Amino acid sequence: MKRVLAYVFSYKKATTIALSLMLFELMVELVQPIIMARIIDEGVVKQDLSMVMTWGSVLLGLSLLAFVGGIVSSFFAAEVSQGVGYDVRRDVYTKIQTFSTTRFQKFSTSSLIMRLTNDVTQIQGFVFMGLRIMLRAPLFIVFGVAMAFSIHTGLATILAIAVPTSIVVMLFIVSKGVLYFTKVQEKLDSVNSVIQENLVGIRLIKAFNRGSYEEERFNKENQSLQAFNVKALRFMELAMPIIMLGMNSSLVIMLWFGALELNVGDAQPGEVVALINYGTRILGSIGMFAFLMMNFTRGRASAHRIDEVLREEEDEEWSRKDKNRQPVEGAVDFQNVSFYYDSSSTPALRNVTFHVNPGETLGILGETGSGKSSLIQLIPRLFEPTSGEIFIDGKNMKDIEIDSLRLAIGLVPQEAHLFTGTIRDNILWGNERATMDDIIQAAKAANIHDFIMTLPEAYETKIGQRGVNLSGGQKQRLSLARAIVRRPKILLLDDSTSALDANTEASVLQALKQMRSTTFIIAQKISSVADADKILLLNQGRVVASGSHDELLEQNALYQSIYYSQVQEDVLQYDE
Amino acid sequence: MTNKLEGKTNSAPPMNRHMRPPKPPKVKNMKATLSRIWGYMENQKMLFFAVVSFVIMSSVMTLIGPYVLGKAVDLLIEDFNQSVLWKMLALLVGIYIVQAVAEWFQNFWMIQIAQNTVYSMRKKLFGHLQLLPIAFFQKQQHGNLMSRLTNDMENVSRTLNSSIIQVATSVITLTGTLIIMLLLSPLLTVLTLTIVPAMFFGLKWITNRTGVYFKKQQSDLGEMNSFIEETLSGHKMIKIYSKEKQVIENFHHKNEALRESGYWAQTYSGFIPKLMNMLNNVSFTIIVGVGGVLALRDIISIGVIVTFTTYSRQFTRPLNDLANQFNTILSAVAGAERVFAIMDEEKEQGSPKEKHVSNLKGEVIFKNVSFSYDEGQNTLRNVHFHVEPGKTVALVGPTGAGKTTVISLLSRFYDPTEGEIRLDGQKLTEISRESLRNQIGIVLQDSVLFHATVMENIRYGKLEATDDEVIQAAKAANAHDFITKLPKGYETILHSDGHGISHGQRQLLSIARAMVAEPSLLILDEATSSIDTITEIKINEALATLMDGRTSFVIAHRLNTIQKADLILVLQKGQIIEQGGHEELLAQNGFYADLFHTQRRKKDASP
Repeated sequence: MKRVLAYVFSYKKATTIALSLMLFELMVELVQPIIMARIIDEGVVKQDLSMVMTWGSVLLGLSLLAFVGGIVSSFFAAEVSQGVGYDVRRDVYTKIQTFSTTRFQKFSTSSLIMRLTNDVTQIQGFVFMGLRIMLRAPLFIVFGVAMAFSIHTGLATILAIAVPTSIVVMLFIVSKGVLYFTKVQEKLDSVNSVIQENLVGIRLIKAFNRGSYEEERFNKENQSLQAFNVKALRFMELAMPIIMLGMNSSLVIMLWFGALELNVGDAQPGEVVALINYGTRILGSIGMFAFLMMNFTRGRASAHRIDEVLREEEDEEWSRKDKNRQPVEGAVDFQNVSFYYDSSSTPALRNVTFHVNPGETLGILGETGSGKSSLIQLIPRLFEPTSGEIFIDGKNMKDIEIDSLRLAIGLVPQEAHLFTGTIRDNILWGNERATMDDIIQAAKAANIHDFIMTLPEAYETKIGQRGVNLSGGQKQRLSLARAIVRRPKILLLDDSTSALDANTEASVLQALKQMRSTTFIIAQKISSVADADKILLLNQGRVVASGSHDELLEQNALYQSIYYSQVQEDVLQYDE
Repeated sequence: MTNKLEGKTNSAPPMNRHMRPPKPPKVKNMKATLSRIWGYMENQKMLFFAVVSFVIMSSVMTLIGPYVLGKAVDLLIEDFNQSVLWKMLALLVGIYIVQAVAEWFQNFWMIQIAQNTVYSMRKKLFGHLQLLPIAFFQKQQHGNLMSRLTNDMENVSRTLNSSIIQVATSVITLTGTLIIMLLLSPLLTVLTLTIVPAMFFGLKWITNRTGVYFKKQQSDLGEMNSFIEETLSGHKMIKIYSKEKQVIENFHHKNEALRESGYWAQTYSGFIPKLMNMLNNVSFTIIVGVGGVLALRDIISIGVIVTFTTYSRQFTRPLNDLANQFNTILSAVAGAERVFAIMDEEKEQGSPKEKHVSNLKGEVIFKNVSFSYDEGQNTLRNVHFHVEPGKTVALVGPTGAGKTTVISLLSRFYDPTEGEIRLDGQKLTEISRESLRNQIGIVLQDSVLFHATVMENIRYGKLEATDDEVIQAAKAANAHDFITKLPKGYETILHSDGHGISHGQRQLLSIARAMVAEPSLLILDEATSSIDTITEIKINEALATLMDGRTSFVIAHRLNTIQKADLILVLQKGQIIEQGGHEELLAQNGFYADLFHTQRRKKDASP
């Protein structure tokens, strides 16, 4: 909450203006009854029309001023609460971008989305209501209680007990309510997550006819969201009549004691009347507080969730982007690298050691799950080795600025991840400074140019989220073009030619060769890596053999068995 | 398909890249939207009336309470009588208790009504999503749809919780006050009402603006949600390509747009109480001014003016509340409209002739089938073939030739634009999608995982499968070994983004999922592309058993899989250019034979 309040305070000017204008409004509001009384007492009752007109104009003038002030304050209040929302979203989103992959996986995407949207809305609601009531209610209460004491200490004590009691009760309710609303927001996360999964997997769901199963799954979450909502809202809203009943009862008690004191002669009737009057006003302000309570509680629960993200450490200091970039040549050294995923007790990589010279090609083969992708993902520091060191150009990778490192790397993942936008945008993603010529060159190298040209709007054709309207092979080739346009010193291909037919693959590999990058190729087919300078054979995270194709074919039994398994495994090649 | 959602198509037909989405229209039809929301509350009518009666009760108590309190105070000042005072205090306590109880119950039930309504709207919306055709999802960004189910629904929820009670309370107080005012002085009442037209126009001016900005705000929120969803899902790609600054930059644009619409929505909303307050003072001045003149002419008494002024204040307070509530409701309507827009999307069309099928033999006939995703561009042209029950079909052709489209038509993700498909002699369009898909087992190019245990992920193929059957399938798919090495074996929870297991392992799970389904018709769309060849050989045997006796469609690049097929369809640019068995096609000496021989030559030349 503190962190979130700090955002409000950063809008000092707007907050001050909004609050002082509200204070002005409040003053007008307080003066109004006096003027009205004067108009009635001195104008209407005494039948003095000029009096009515004069004070009437004053009243109108003042309310016009208050109106203008109010309108102006609306602008500033909106600036503060929308500005706070904006700032929180900006900082949370920016923060998330600094997360390493490991830290990122601590939160689910759907939960982060909720925090950035719904939770911020809750906080905005609180700030907005807070600005409206913040001054008014406490002022009224403090002023009211003080006045009450100046009139009659004995009777005022009743108020002095009732007011703090109800505030304590409210604080208790808030602290309990925060827990309930945290649950509500968490449930909202789960609902969101089911929706997201359904959208991603809609083809599978339809193919397996699991619509009603998914509905059931969704409704389970939906139902428990509803249940928590009902619980939380009831807890908050049902407390209100009780608080009000308590406050109302204190009025009755005051009247009762007032009557007793009157009897004894310790109090004047006027005093009792005035006290009751103040009591009613304080009651109204407490009511306002109770009204704010809901917003406050929800805001607090949400502020806590946002705080959870903001509190996380920043893993990557990519913000130092303007520093001099260190050029990367492309030599890669792994020394005794072992790696565990957070959740796993078995290592994904064990004592991996190898060396690749700049411009060389390294093939990586191995069974499904043998650690090929894990190895490649360590190079752009998506994950950090658990032990051992990686050197780039002889320098410890940790000493190289992460931006310089990644700028020199092009990684093509197994599953092409395309974004909503045009084809051009998607290729440009690899290198924002690329010219149209560069883009076309890259597309040609990835063997996708001809296809692009058959599209109605060629490079300006829009593609949907994750490239829904493209085939697997087309997505992979776009993803390749994206890496090629980057002209990386180190090119990492994570089985990224699997959906290509052999001819296309061969011509793509040929084009890649001309880039003279240090190239890592993960492949299933030996034919894809046969030309590599060196091939690593992985098994259960270990390098079990390394060498050129010919060496391995001669010396290694596992390699031989893979080779022979593929002799029958011819792959069709198409001339396009 | 008509796209009723505000200009967010992001696939073909391509739009101008820099075109901003059109400004959302004004709240289209508030009444219609409200009555649709009411439709979801209707079955809770009884509860609703209970709430309304408690609202009436508590409002009456709120009106009476101060009155009795005033009387009690008068009693204190004027003629003090203890026994009367006690009675009055007792009455007061009674009123307060009734008020509290009534409020308690009205809140208690209103929350239930509101949340039930939101629950059933969400349920309906989600259910409707399941019935929409694949084409719909291709045009929508995930984040935007998610926002409709969460942020927009939450907007409706917030309003339902409080607005109904407050509107009812205001209306009752307003009516009560109006009656008393009329009794006191019809003339002054008319004077008080002179501010109503001014109020009406002022409010209209304001809500015309807030309505637009509420809509804009919700759609900006949706846009931002899409952006967040997409960039967070592609987190790794952003890291690899160092795109943090760029996405943050783009995020700022969305964030600014949202701040802008939120700013105006809130600013204009803020005008309402200020306007009401000023009008209130104007009406007061009118009453005393004109009242004073009238009193001078002895038309009304001064006492009436004095009493009247207090009531006219009481009259404007509920009016103020109503104005605010109207505004809140507008914001809920903005959310609800976005929800209903999805519900108005057309479902996957079914013909009334649709029949259920079971125990399919698996004879598949494509008769001159043509298909286009978008008008004008044919993805498939005159595809014509016949598959005997239990046979294996291999689809061969370069990427983008239309292989996946053939499969999509067979599973009725789409229906052909021309021609017809027959399954066991029945027109495919006359078989219900549900029963058709119950017969199909499919392994898709992209393996989808759910946030659930390994066991549940495999069981997705056949919900009633026992643990044993699941494990058998996993063994056949060669997934058992790696599963048992996971931290909790079959009970390990997988993540939908697949972290923790490799891509190839995900494919193995997909295959196990199809195996456990025991379908009549099997479709393998590059099912083994990310699996190493040794593992593939191991599962090929199991796949062969699975395919035995089942009509199977296989998309693959590997020759020996293709060679074994009973029927090979060679596709190019959406047309079948050759079809037949392996030997037959070789004899034809066409495209396929060419491919085959080139491949063979290359191999002989290679080490």
